[in-house]
Amino acid sequence: MKEPEQKLVVPNGWLEALVRKLRVQGTRVLAPVERDGAVDFREINSADEMAANYVNTRVPLKEILFPRTETILEFDQPSGGDVVFSGVEANAAPTIVIGARPCDLSAIGVLDTVFNWDYHDTFYGQRRANTTFVGVACREADGNCFCGSVAGGAGENEGSDVFVRPTADGALLEIMTERGKKLAQSIDDAAPAAGKEEPLPVAATEERFDVEKIKGWLDDHFDDDFWLDVSLKCLGCGACSYLCPTCHCFDIVDESDWRGGERRRNWDCCSFALFTLHTSGHNPRPDQQSRCRNRLMHKFKYFVERFGRRACVGCGRCIRVCGAGQNIVNVLIDITRAEAATSGSA
Amino acid sequence: MPASTDQAIDYLPYKMRVEKITEETPDVTTLKLLFDDHQQAEKFTFKAGQFGLYSVFGYGEATFCIASSPTRKGYIECSVKRAGRVTQALHSLLEGDTIGFRGPYGNCFPVDEMKGRNILFVGGGIGLAPVRSVIWNCLDRRDEFGDITICYGARTVDDLVYKEELKEWEGRDDINTIFTVDPGGETPDWSGKVGFVPTVLGEAKISSDNAVCILCGPPIMIKFTLPVLVDTHGFAKENVITTLENRMKCGVGKCGRCNVGNKYVCKDGPVFTCAEIEEMPPEY
Repeated sequence: MKEPEQKLVVPNGWLEALVRKLRVQGTRVLAPVERDGAVDFREINSADEMAANYVNTRVPLKEILFPRTETILEFDQPSGGDVVFSGVEANAAPTIVIGARPCDLSAIGVLDTVFNWDYHDTFYGQRRANTTFVGVACREADGNCFCGSVAGGAGENEGSDVFVRPTADGALLEIMTERGKKLAQSIDDAAPAAGKEEPLPVAATEERFDVEKIKGWLDDHFDDDFWLDVSLKCLGCGACSYLCPTCHCFDIVDESDWRGGERRRNWDCCSFALFTLHTSGHNPRPDQQSRCRNRLMHKFKYFVERFGRRACVGCGRCIRVCGAGQNIVNVLIDITRAEAATSGSA
Repeated sequence: MPASTDQAIDYLPYKMRVEKITEETPDVTTLKLLFDDHQQAEKFTFKAGQFGLYSVFGYGEATFCIASSPTRKGYIECSVKRAGRVTQALHSLLEGDTIGFRGPYGNCFPVDEMKGRNILFVGGGIGLAPVRSVIWNCLDRRDEFGDITICYGARTVDDLVYKEELKEWEGRDDINTIFTVDPGGETPDWSGKVGFVPTVLGEAKISSDNAVCILCGPPIMIKFTLPVLVDTHGFAKENVITTLENRMKCGVGKCGRCNVGNKYVCKDGPVFTCAEIEEMPPEY
């Protein structure tokens, strides 16, 4: 939890007024919208379009900053041999995202690290600079949410530009960043918080395993039959990675016809056999067992060692989407049990 | 963690022109590439061991080391074995054609730290490409280094790359050379050795005193050569330096596929000592 720069109270109806104002200004507004039974971030013109009750969107927030496919250069081959190519601008229209969940916002911190830890990725960076996130505390969780075990939980404000805590007659707004302050200027009827506001209770997300124990076991169990067991339930379809808010692996491919085309960046997944396959035929991660291990190790060990934070935020999407019933919480519980057994401190 | 850069990356390659194509073997070709933009050519620098992504538009990008020496300015060379889609497209190019190149990326061989030391270069097959960059780098600054030995082998005489340069090195009196081909790969007029690189290296008189070894080749060769270097010739694993070649897409630590444990081959490598590699999980 971070201390907000500023706290404001707003009455019911504030969101409707804000969306109207932003749209009049021509600002792009994205919010969770239910369509064909799924809630996803879509452009809205009015707050009425927003989904009334949703635990979380189907596709995570990452798609707004890091689209599943995007053109990174265009080329043309007007005459034999010569090629004309040029870069493209990222589609980075100023955007306000309303209704993001704390887990997904926490995941943006992971993406910020990946796309900036060394070289600064211009496509990601341009969108990031032009996007303001309005997070909302979760009043409901489902059985697959586990943010309370790996991240800050349902009321975590870190990562938001403005964080909304609903109250009985409106909301308490926590203004977290400069971008948030700028957005707050468009919010009518906002008054400084007196400190007596009582936000409605957030969803309970109890701690289901001790995440601190996980890395210790991973450190010592690269070679273990455990990974074979885990992999037997993995189809290698990649759905978990596509919907994971922190998974960021991508492929770069050319798509063209005889005259020209474009180079695209597409989401990719470490569960795929082709992901690491060398042209020679050699594959450093030749089986599903080694690929499952890499995915989990990356989230709970490698990323921690490298960047000082976990790459899992407990959104539960991988559990909801898995066609084979793979459940990362159960895998992590198994690891903590194995750890307790080996350390003898059950 | 290597020092991070403040550079932006937009994945836009340099435009390069194929100046010269050399058929090294039936399936290996060396491309000499010139920058289309003279200003880019003047600004471009790299170090031996660094790599880049070469692209044939419409086919995609592929990763190769820069096979020329940083002491030879104004152009780069890459040697490509025909194996997949992009390498096939690179083999189909004609002189004058345009390709993309982005780089240089990754770390480099510690050439400056090798000053005053004896150097043993060991290469197998197309693995001579990254080694060649260091060899010419050292030969162009010959008086800064001690004894130089080049041990190189391929499956057959036909499969030896850089044949003209091998002759040149063999003819110089300031380099020791050991060239070999696998048993059965020799021709009637082959004057070099016959035997696998580890075997030939094991029989050679090599001193590890004040020496460093640069070793590149197929994984199977490295596997059998390392014990020869360490046990027979007494090299410390810290002094045996090689490159890893995991598949890459971005080259700059983002696309997520070249990792070996918590190391990114594209950022922490591709150059590693064998001591460092021993600490990694075996995913390379």
